Amino acid sequence: MIQNIIINGLINGSIYALLAIGFSLIFGVARIVNIAHTAFYMLAAYFIYVGFHYLGMSPYISMPLSVLAVGLLSIICYKIFIQPIREHEAAVLIATIALAMVIQEALLIAFGGHYLGVPPLVSGYATIAGVKVTYQHFLALSVAVLALFGVWILLMKTKLGLALRSTAQDREVANLMGMNEARVAMVTMGISVMMAGIAGAVVVPLYVLDPHMWMHPLIMMLAIVVLGGLGSIKGSFVGAYIMAFAEVLVVFLIPMGAFLKGSVALSIMILVLLIRPEGLFGVAFEEER
Amino acid sequence: MKKSIFGWSVLMAVCFVMTIGSLAWGADDIKIGVIGPMQFTQGEGHWNGATLAAEEINKKGGIQVGNTWLPIKLVKVDSNEFLSVPDATNAMELAISRHKVNFLIGGFRTEAVLVMQDIAMDNKKIFIGCGAAHPKLCSRVKENYDRYKYWFRVTPINSRYLVKVDFILLGMVAKIMAMELKIPKIKVAIVAEKAVWCDPIVGIAQKNLPKMGMEVVGVWRPSPVATDVTAELSAIQSSGAHIIFTSFSSSVGITFAKQWGELQVPAAAVGINVEAQKDGFWAATGGKGNYTLTINTYARVRITDVTIAFFDKYSKRFKGAPNYTAGTYEAVYVLADAIEKADSLDPDKIVKAMEKTKRLGTAGTLVFDKTHDVTWGPGFVTAVGTQWQNGANKCVWPLNWQNITYEGAVPYVIPPWVVAHYKK
Amino acid sequence: MGLPGFYLRRAYSLFRGEVLVLPSRVAVFIFALGVLLLPLFSQDPYLLRILIFTSIFAILAASWDLLSGFTGQMNFGHALFFGVAAYCTALLNLRLDLPPWISIPLGALGAVLAGLIIGIPCLRLRGTYLALTTLAFPIILMGVIFAIPDITGGELGLSGIDRLSGSRLTDYYITSVLMLGLGFIMWKITDSKTGIILHAIREDEVAVRSSGINTTRYKLLAFCLSGFFAGIAGGLYAHIMRTAGPSTLEVALSFQIVIWAVFGGIVSIYGPIAGVFILFPLLEFLRIMPKIRMLVFAFIVLVTLLYMPQGLIPWLRDKIEKECPRCKIRNVTTRKTCRICTAELD
Repeated sequence: MIQNIIINGLINGSIYALLAIGFSLIFGVARIVNIAHTAFYMLAAYFIYVGFHYLGMSPYISMPLSVLAVGLLSIICYKIFIQPIREHEAAVLIATIALAMVIQEALLIAFGGHYLGVPPLVSGYATIAGVKVTYQHFLALSVAVLALFGVWILLMKTKLGLALRSTAQDREVANLMGMNEARVAMVTMGISVMMAGIAGAVVVPLYVLDPHMWMHPLIMMLAIVVLGGLGSIKGSFVGAYIMAFAEVLVVFLIPMGAFLKGSVALSIMILVLLIRPEGLFGVAFEEER
Repeated sequence: MKKSIFGWSVLMAVCFVMTIGSLAWGADDIKIGVIGPMQFTQGEGHWNGATLAAEEINKKGGIQVGNTWLPIKLVKVDSNEFLSVPDATNAMELAISRHKVNFLIGGFRTEAVLVMQDIAMDNKKIFIGCGAAHPKLCSRVKENYDRYKYWFRVTPINSRYLVKVDFILLGMVAKIMAMELKIPKIKVAIVAEKAVWCDPIVGIAQKNLPKMGMEVVGVWRPSPVATDVTAELSAIQSSGAHIIFTSFSSSVGITFAKQWGELQVPAAAVGINVEAQKDGFWAATGGKGNYTLTINTYARVRITDVTIAFFDKYSKRFKGAPNYTAGTYEAVYVLADAIEKADSLDPDKIVKAMEKTKRLGTAGTLVFDKTHDVTWGPGFVTAVGTQWQNGANKCVWPLNWQNITYEGAVPYVIPPWVVAHYKK
Repeated sequence: MGLPGFYLRRAYSLFRGEVLVLPSRVAVFIFALGVLLLPLFSQDPYLLRILIFTSIFAILAASWDLLSGFTGQMNFGHALFFGVAAYCTALLNLRLDLPPWISIPLGALGAVLAGLIIGIPCLRLRGTYLALTTLAFPIILMGVIFAIPDITGGELGLSGIDRLSGSRLTDYYITSVLMLGLGFIMWKITDSKTGIILHAIREDEVAVRSSGINTTRYKLLAFCLSGFFAGIAGGLYAHIMRTAGPSTLEVALSFQIVIWAVFGGIVSIYGPIAGVFILFPLLEFLRIMPKIRMLVFAFIVLVTLLYMPQGLIPWLRDKIEKECPRCKIRNVTTRKTCRICTAELD
């Protein structure tokens, strides 16, 4: 059972981490609460489904392609719908909600409310200490961890990463230092959504696709980001694993209450916030007046 | 600024008037509203089944009332009931007061159907349920006959009977496994999604299985929309269960079957898995759902003389097997017969005629009981058990049950990895 | 003439001085009149049903504005109040056989309690933290509801609740009069001293606190007030639908509330009401193209926002009225000078 808890916790945690870090990034850099974030995650999953079932593409090609496609699409959406109204916080908020609805409805029209699936890239399973774990789960875990590592390199070791981090720290000063804040925001949007796309690609063979699959990860992602501290990459990372392990533990330890996993994880988040209102690693933002 | 609101409301009012205008109806047809979640499989089933029946009847000239023949006109009403319950009830009201439908068929989500039923009853419209299995819908007929007599249920069978069939199937598989694999005492793991409709099943199973000579090794209740049940599956495997008794109506059914097949858990899956009734199940599980056994309404076997013809016609026309909401096909026929017998469009007279229905239908002989519910039993509607066998959903029950065998049924197959695990 | 005549003239001059001076107020007046007189023209049950729901959701959206718009306490889980009240009302009606006029206010008190319970932990949070935390509460409650199906009915919800009244028309008048009345009360609250403090908290909480005002108490008050009004809406909903189910707590509903309110224009009370009165019937009207209904709806919201990021009603208001630069009083655009302080209007 321990092995299961660890494996499942690590996979879910890595997926949540990919989602939450992306979300955190765009929030930190541009102060955009992007509700459509997980809708893009879902969109990437559907792209892969289309590539596999209709175009006969190998998943190894369709996966990177769809990640790029959602990244590009998000930049276009950002340019058209979000950039013009960026000063109006509330308007941006519902613009992203409406965007998510558009994606959901478009998928519903195109594919109906059917449950769809993509077969695993590798089939079979390994038995570790008497517990069966599918190869696909291992693959998902390694891809997710690789992606996380890639993001870490991008943020910490490249010039672009430096730009992103500095803008996240203080937008105005970054702007004064001659950085094109608008462009940084746009690029961040693309990067963050591509991370969501990777998460989508990873889960495609594991999960069942339907046009409402973005809701649960959205809620968990928001909870993680708040738990870890808004805008804090480290916080999102740690928070993701905390929430994932909380969920998995509930499933394993109280099988009769497996449906309560979301509620329990969210309650943990609220408890943490009671003690630390700015989250685990949150920087108390200066009062933004 | 408030002028805008007024302007808008005027505009809206105009729009509404235009909608009425465009929907003006001729008195020389019978309007049947087909209400369901039209963007989902369930709603598609509602609409397709009804379309087929209406076309067949219209080809014969329609329904005879007095000396005139009235064609059937179907009105598609999207209830959107999965996403919004008020939406569903508004759609119902729209169908009745705006589209002026004479009759209604369909409905799926019980929370919504309970409200839709009330609206139909308020307007004294006959509403034939084709989707929600909850007993309360029909017990209302007994409690307040004068108000709820306009409600009938054609499909599926009442959840009490679903449970009965559920246990018959479980018993059958247990017997086969005990015999073929020489297992002295069958151990059963109960897996039911966390939903109210499963609660009685879990309760009865815990009480009855020991009486049936089986042992319950545990109960798991995943969320209906869980995306990963490997945790549950590992626990089931270590519990040593031979049979997994499932109750799924939602996407978790696919997740479960997929991971059950992938991990080759050495226990046969039997029970209710609504997703496994659908054609898309094979593709959605990537073939991993092979050997899943579920209760079903339709199968390509000779339940009655008309079943196979209907099944083929439906599959050809709509590129897929009918699922249980396609029972709207029966509903339209029952309604048409009753109208002709009553020789009137007066709902009270039609209700009287419908109560006397005895129709050799596609899912069995359809007779309504006192609560206007579909009667279950040998010689009536029995439901079937279907098992996925290498890409086809085959009927495996009834097979020599109470002297009933549906022609075309095949024996149940124990998943090979289960056989390999226990046959030493 | 005598006394009645005096009061009549008094009322007329009040009406002329307070309502007729501003086109926006005239519009509100016409709107209210239109809502009340509508049944004279049409008693179509479908139309009335839509408008009943519109009124209920208008109360809900306005109550969101009272909390989130004015105080800046972004609430992403407003469905909590709605759902709690719907369930409380349903339980009171089913278990204790209380009639609607008692069960609805008591249900609303349940929502106030919920407001207190979530308000206290949330007081330390602000901005986006608060928004995302409040989102969690209805979901947690949903878990609880599924955990105790004997009381809550699980996914089927509670059904068999009494009707609000016997007839559709009476239902219509109850909900629309309540909507107008509660809307007016909320508007008055925001216009009162309390309202000004709430508004100030939104603008600069530190400054308010340093003026010696206990902002915590006021924020909690806003949670409770908002919860009460949202609760009335939830109770009405339970009695109209005659069922209270988990759909009253869904995230989608919380989002919908935010969309209605922001689309109409926040910090105004009448904005969200107008938002609901436009968007809810719009969604019904879009049934003429059932397949792409929601898609078109979402697009309309998106595009409208592009042009009117502050919301529809503030945008329209600024077209027909302008603010006096000196005394901040609103005037018709056609005026050259302010109606109060006679300053030049540009």
